[in-house]
Amino acid sequence: MTDMAHIGAAPPLPKASSHKTYLPGESGIWVFVSGELLVFSMFFILIAQGQAEQGAIFDQSRAKLDLGLCVINTLLLLTGSWFVAIAVERCREFMRDSGPDKRPAQNSATRYFTLALLCALGFVSIKMVEWGHKLHAGITTGTNDFFMYYFMFTGIHLFHVLMGVGVLLFLRAASRRPEITPRTMRIIEAGATYWHLVDLLWVALFALLYLI
Amino acid sequence: MQSGDKDELFARSMRFCAWCGVAAIIFFVIGGVWLGGMIPPLLGPDDPPAEFVRKVSEHLLAIRIGSVFLMLSFALFGPFGAGIAAQTRRKERNPVFSYVQLMFTASGTVVALLVAFCWALMVFRPDVYQPTIVQFLADFAYFLAVFSVPVFGGWCVVIALPILMAKPGEEPFPRWIGYANLWAAALFTPGQMVLFFKHGPFSWNGLIALWLPFAAFFLWILLMSYAMFEAAKADD
Repeated sequence: MTDMAHIGAAPPLPKASSHKTYLPGESGIWVFVSGELLVFSMFFILIAQGQAEQGAIFDQSRAKLDLGLCVINTLLLLTGSWFVAIAVERCREFMRDSGPDKRPAQNSATRYFTLALLCALGFVSIKMVEWGHKLHAGITTGTNDFFMYYFMFTGIHLFHVLMGVGVLLFLRAASRRPEITPRTMRIIEAGATYWHLVDLLWVALFALLYLI
Repeated sequence: MQSGDKDELFARSMRFCAWCGVAAIIFFVIGGVWLGGMIPPLLGPDDPPAEFVRKVSEHLLAIRIGSVFLMLSFALFGPFGAGIAAQTRRKERNPVFSYVQLMFTASGTVVALLVAFCWALMVFRPDVYQPTIVQFLADFAYFLAVFSVPVFGGWCVVIALPILMAKPGEEPFPRWIGYANLWAAALFTPGQMVLFFKHGPFSWNGLIALWLPFAAFFLWILLMSYAMFEAAKADD
């Protein structure tokens, strides 16, 4: 009887992580994240240096940026990050108990990853429109240093977003597996961490390029 | 690895490959940094051709000796890359990624060797060459070094993949090494911008297109050499 009860019970969770600080994903992804933060800090310093040396040109050029589109884009990324966070939470629920009654949690996780993907694609499309306007107005990387930084750094960031779309597609597929193992969960967390990084870098870039 | 499985010869050859990585860095520092004027860059992409001739003529002997060291440095990429592939090969049942690594190692080595060729030819007879040819050789050397993103970035990615895709406990190198490889690949990418700029941080003497990929590349060699030294310990 006790055996039966034991079999029926949910498998015990690993206890190791409960009494030390829990690191989402795995330590390796944080090597990548710190590396990226380091490099983007260098970009931020370059922009700040340009601002200090060519303040007038930077201010005039900044006035030509489309703040409205950029605010929408920032909201899209922040909302996308929120969706990813919810999806990860749902995946965790499903991992703790993958019984049939937890299917709704899994389906909802997949849905939230889809929503995050739509946010990401929205960001990419708006960025294309924004760049299109600039190029149409004859503004290119060669116009001045501000627009060189503007195109290059938002371009490098856009490249990260596109990689992120691939990551989100992968996470969405992972969330649909019949069972989410702790290992899958760590991969999902690592991918989500990357997406939050993309969001964080954008917020800093947004402030430095559009707002100062 | 079980105790009966230890391969002392492997440990020794692994250390040989790791030392090749370390030596490549030392030779590069002598040839490219100290003598050759490659980094920090002696030349600039917006200098007029005559300025190229003037500058290299001033440092003729140093750059010549530097080029010899550059050649030595870059030739060592071969054993360095082969060592990494040999270690990932051990954990792959069908060594596809290890083979792809060898392709990248070979092509990366050739691309790097050509950097040294260009650097040497630039100082062979700059007084006889048209100044634009001297300029072209410098351009070509930097393009080979930093415009070659898919070769060196691809190399890092195919090192990362067999690590990150391995079953738990069967990784050829620690997982963070896999992520560090992806990061290195990301750092090489701005090198591709040199085609579009002739001054500023994205040109071939700039902070982002030259310094960043170069620093990342040599840090990466150091990191992978360390990883190989660690991997060799398992076979002692």
